[in-house]
Amino acid sequence: MTREVLLIGLDGATFDLLDPLMEEGAMPVLRDVIGSGVRATLRSTVPALTPPAWTSLVTGRGPGSHGIFDFFRKDGESSPLFRFLTSHDVACPTIWSFANSAGLRSTVLNFPLTFPPPKVAGHIVPGGFVPWRQLRLGCHPEGLFDRLRTLPSFNARELALDMTQEAKAIEGCEEAEYEPWIDMHIRRERQWVDIARYLAEKEPADFTAVLFDGVDKIQHLCWRFIDPKMTGALASDWELRVRDKCREYFSELDRRIEELLDVVGDEASVFIASDHGFGPQVRTLFVNAWLRQTGRLAWQPGEAPASVGATALGLNQMARHVFQMDWTRTRAFAPLPSGNGIHIVHADQTHPHGVSADEYKAFRDDLASDLLQIRDPESGEAVVARVWTREEIFTGPNLSLAPDLTLELADGGLISILDSPDPARRRPLPTGTHRPDGVLVLAGPGVNKGARIQPLSILDVAPLLLHALDLPIPPNLEGRFVSEALDPAVLGTRPPRYSDDGPVHTPEMVAAELDAEAESEILRRLQALGYVD
Amino acid sequence: MTYTREQILAEVLELLNGVARDWEFEGPVGANTRLFADLAFESLDLVVLGSKVQEHFRQTFPFPQFFADIGQREVRDLTISEWVDFIERHVRQPVAAASRAAGASEGV
Repeated sequence: MTREVLLIGLDGATFDLLDPLMEEGAMPVLRDVIGSGVRATLRSTVPALTPPAWTSLVTGRGPGSHGIFDFFRKDGESSPLFRFLTSHDVACPTIWSFANSAGLRSTVLNFPLTFPPPKVAGHIVPGGFVPWRQLRLGCHPEGLFDRLRTLPSFNARELALDMTQEAKAIEGCEEAEYEPWIDMHIRRERQWVDIARYLAEKEPADFTAVLFDGVDKIQHLCWRFIDPKMTGALASDWELRVRDKCREYFSELDRRIEELLDVVGDEASVFIASDHGFGPQVRTLFVNAWLRQTGRLAWQPGEAPASVGATALGLNQMARHVFQMDWTRTRAFAPLPSGNGIHIVHADQTHPHGVSADEYKAFRDDLASDLLQIRDPESGEAVVARVWTREEIFTGPNLSLAPDLTLELADGGLISILDSPDPARRRPLPTGTHRPDGVLVLAGPGVNKGARIQPLSILDVAPLLLHALDLPIPPNLEGRFVSEALDPAVLGTRPPRYSDDGPVHTPEMVAAELDAEAESEILRRLQALGYVD
Repeated sequence: MTYTREQILAEVLELLNGVARDWEFEGPVGANTRLFADLAFESLDLVVLGSKVQEHFRQTFPFPQFFADIGQREVRDLTISEWVDFIERHVRQPVAAASRAAGASEGV
C-alpha cells in the first residue's frame, strides 16, 4: 500500500540560519522534526541556482540530462538570443511524472518549471516566473483557479509573481518597504498551505509538494538582518524592526510546516529540502566590463549598459542586452546575471569573427586563466575562486546548451552583466546570495532516527522519494540510494526496487514537434502521390 | 480545418479575455488593444502568453527573435493584431486540410 509522501521545499534554506533560529526557539516544529528524523547537508548543482537545482532534485538527473542550466536557454547552439524556460524544456521525467505513470495522484504547488502545467493526475499550481495575471492559465486541471478563488485567503497577485515585488529581492527597495514586503511573504506562504489543505480535503494526493520561496527572497534582501555573524552590527530602530520581522517570517514558516504535517498525518514520509544554501555577497564582479577591458567584448557605440549605483539588472532590460553588443568584436559574453556563465561566440556565418573550432580550446583556456587573476581592488584577493569548463560539471545530451565556462566567485556571489569602469567593486552593504550547501531533513515511519548522514548530493533525493512512494528506481538516475537514512528493519521488508527504465518521457512540445514531423511526412507522401500541391 | 486569421484572432481574444477578467482591466479587448499600454503587460506576461500559444498550437514559434525585435522598437509595445500577424505568419497548418484534400482527390 502506498503511503503519503510530503515534500516541503524551503528555497535557499541553510542550516547556517536554521540552526540558530531553532536554538533560539523560533522554529520549534522544525527542531522536533529533525529530532525525530535525520538531517544532512544537501550539495546543490553547479551553478547553485533555483531552476537547475530543483529540477535536479525532482528528476534525479543533472542539468546536462534535463537541460535546465538557468532561467533562460540559448535559442540555438550559436544564437545570441535566449528564451525563457518552461515545463516543456525539462527533458527528464519528474517525481510527479513517475507517480502519474504508476496511477498515483500529485499535488504540486509553487515549483519552478511547472508552467505550462504537466497534465498529471492531481493538481498543479505553478511557481517560478508565472505572472499573477496569467496564473489561471497555469493551474491544472482546468477550473482549479476558480475553485481556489473561493478560499478566503486567496489573492492571486500575492500568490504568483508580481514583478514589482519580485525585483526588490535583488534590486533592493526603500527602507519603508522592507516590513510590508516581508509581511507579504508571510501571507503568501499561508496561502500555499491553505491551498494544500483545501486540496487534501477535497481530493487527497499520494504525493504532495509545496515550495516556500520566501526563504530565498528574504535572505537575498535581508541577509545582514538575519545572519547571526552580522546582526550584532544592527543599531537603528529600523534595522532592529527589520531583524524582528525576518524572525517573525521564520516563526510563521515553522507554523506552516506544522500545518502541512497535520494535513498529511503521522504515517506520511516527510522530506524537507532546499535547492541551495545561502551566504553573504560582499562585492560585485562586472564580468562583461572585464571582458570589454580585456578585448573580448565590445558594446555598440553609446550602448554600454552602465551600472550607475545599481549592480543588478531587471528582466526587462535583459532581452535588449544582446543588441547592445557589437557582434563583430565580441567573442565571449555573459548573457545572464543568474548562472555565472560565460558563453563563447562560435564562428559561423552569422558571427564570422567568432572563435573558430581550431582556436576554441586555447581561447577558452586563456580566458579561464585570466579570470582567475582578477583581484579585489581593496583587499587584493582573488575575485574568482574557480572556473569550470562545461565538460567538468555537466554530462548528458544537453551539454551544448551549457555555458562554455561557469564561474565560482570567491564570495560565493553572482556576477553582474552591466558595464562598469571597475570590473570588481565592493558593495556598500553585504546582501545575501546562493551557496552550494542546502538542507535535507527526513522524517516519518521508516527513517533511521538520529543517524549521522554525510553530505548528500541533490541528486540523491529522487531515489528516496521514489522509494517512499513505493515506486521502482530507474537505472539512469544519477544519484545514489541513501540506504543509511532509512531504518534497516524497514529496508529488510521493503528494499528499493529497480526498474529497467523509467516512464517514457516525451515533453509535450517535443511530442507536438514529432507530430508535426509526422504530418510533414504524410504531406510529402501525399505530394508524391499527386494528391496535394 | 485550417487556421484563418479570423480564427487565430478569435482564439487569442478568448485566451486574453479568459485571463483579463482576473485583473482590474475592465475595457474591451480587441484587435487594436495594445498589450503593454492598455493591458499593463510586463515583458514576462508576453513570454508566458507565448508559451501558452505554443501549447495551444502544439508547435514552437520564433518568439525570442520576435521579442527581441519588439525590444528594439522606439515604442516597445504591440497590438493584438500584430501578435496575430506573427502567429499567422508562423503557424503550421494542421494536416487535416491535407487529408481532406487527399480525400477529395481520391473522390475524383
